[in-house]
Amino acid sequence: MVTRTSLVIILLLTLAVIAGVRFSLLLGLGITIGFVLERYGFGFTGPWRRFIRDRDAQGIIAQLIAIGLTALAIQPLIAYAPGTLIGAIAPVSLTMIIAAAVFGLSMQMILGCGSGTLVNAGSGNPLALAALPFFGLGSFLGSLLIPVAIQSTPHIPLSLTKLLGVERSVVITLAGLLIIGLVVRSFSQGPIWNKRFLTAAILLAALAILHVLIAGQPWGVVYGLGLWAAKAAQGIGWDPNTAQFWVHPINASALKGSILTDTTSLTNIGLVMGAALAAWIDSVNRPFKQPIAIWYYLIAALFGLLLGISSRLAFGCNVGGLFSGIASGSVHGWAWLVAGFIGSTAGVYLRDNLWLLASREAK
Amino acid sequence: MTRRVGIIIAVSAVVFIVVFDWLLGTPPDPYRAPDPMAFGSTSGASGAICSFAPGAEE
Repeated sequence: MVTRTSLVIILLLTLAVIAGVRFSLLLGLGITIGFVLERYGFGFTGPWRRFIRDRDAQGIIAQLIAIGLTALAIQPLIAYAPGTLIGAIAPVSLTMIIAAAVFGLSMQMILGCGSGTLVNAGSGNPLALAALPFFGLGSFLGSLLIPVAIQSTPHIPLSLTKLLGVERSVVITLAGLLIIGLVVRSFSQGPIWNKRFLTAAILLAALAILHVLIAGQPWGVVYGLGLWAAKAAQGIGWDPNTAQFWVHPINASALKGSILTDTTSLTNIGLVMGAALAAWIDSVNRPFKQPIAIWYYLIAALFGLLLGISSRLAFGCNVGGLFSGIASGSVHGWAWLVAGFIGSTAGVYLRDNLWLLASREAK
Repeated sequence: MTRRVGIIIAVSAVVFIVVFDWLLGTPPDPYRAPDPMAFGSTSGASGAICSFAPGAEE
């Protein structure tokens, strides 16, 4: 453990020198988030799955608390420093809602959401390793489709803080989360509190708040993955000037710069490394091979691709759209939650059937 | 084969991406680095964020 900690410290100090302190802090933040998610077994897909299948609400309650704590801090912070700090505010639209539902379905198929796929890959899960490159490719393809989606259907950005003021926005956000918590509790069988998940939720909220203070914007995942694929595409001859999304100065600047200075790239790298650190010791006791037929890896790749495309069209995955969206006071986060959950419900049943088939064939 | 192989693959892939980007792209310039924290500084968010919707901004 001492060796691994020393390596991380050396890595962070090196990055601080070659790129800047902010980027080093962001990588450190990503590593800590990845470590917490892996060590506490906390995430988004699993809790939704357990609620849909077993009426176990412990994970969802912890998620709601994490979002609520984050909202309580970042909405006033962003309002206090306009221009310097920004929220994850995105438009609501028909394509955004459909995309969130597709993401919800896809994340259940590979048991990994935006953060979950990175954490699972970092912990050596072969299905996540199969899905992740396609997640990145899909995110890039989705970025090419965003202008088409925006031109074909009305896209209306709705920020509760802009519409109602910060105080009311925070109250409405917390009230909304409370109502969902009560609804979830009414369907729950068994206890709703889990000390391990609650600890993870509090840590995650603290890290998400720190992310806003350091980066100036909320935590996200999918932008970085799409950026990596865009850079790879550029390497094989793709011209970014042909893509409306990538000619925008913000995206063009990200494409031109180093991924070591891109916020979501750094936290993504950190998620993989943090999960790897947390899983390293136990990894020798866990088999690499999954007890399934080989074709399920193609399913993982396909749904990885869909995760990427849908998360771009939904303006974020479960992290950038759902978690950071709701916490920032963006209505699109709430739409994401409802649509993503509907998609997840279908995904749980589809995954169970296909997994059963793949398991039988493997025997 | 254990999960450790998977961890090594994942971390190697990340290292490959960073090295590939470093060699083919623009290396970071520490002299143009923003302030350590956006909060309280003049160098704020990059805006490169998942919720960014060019053409449908607020």
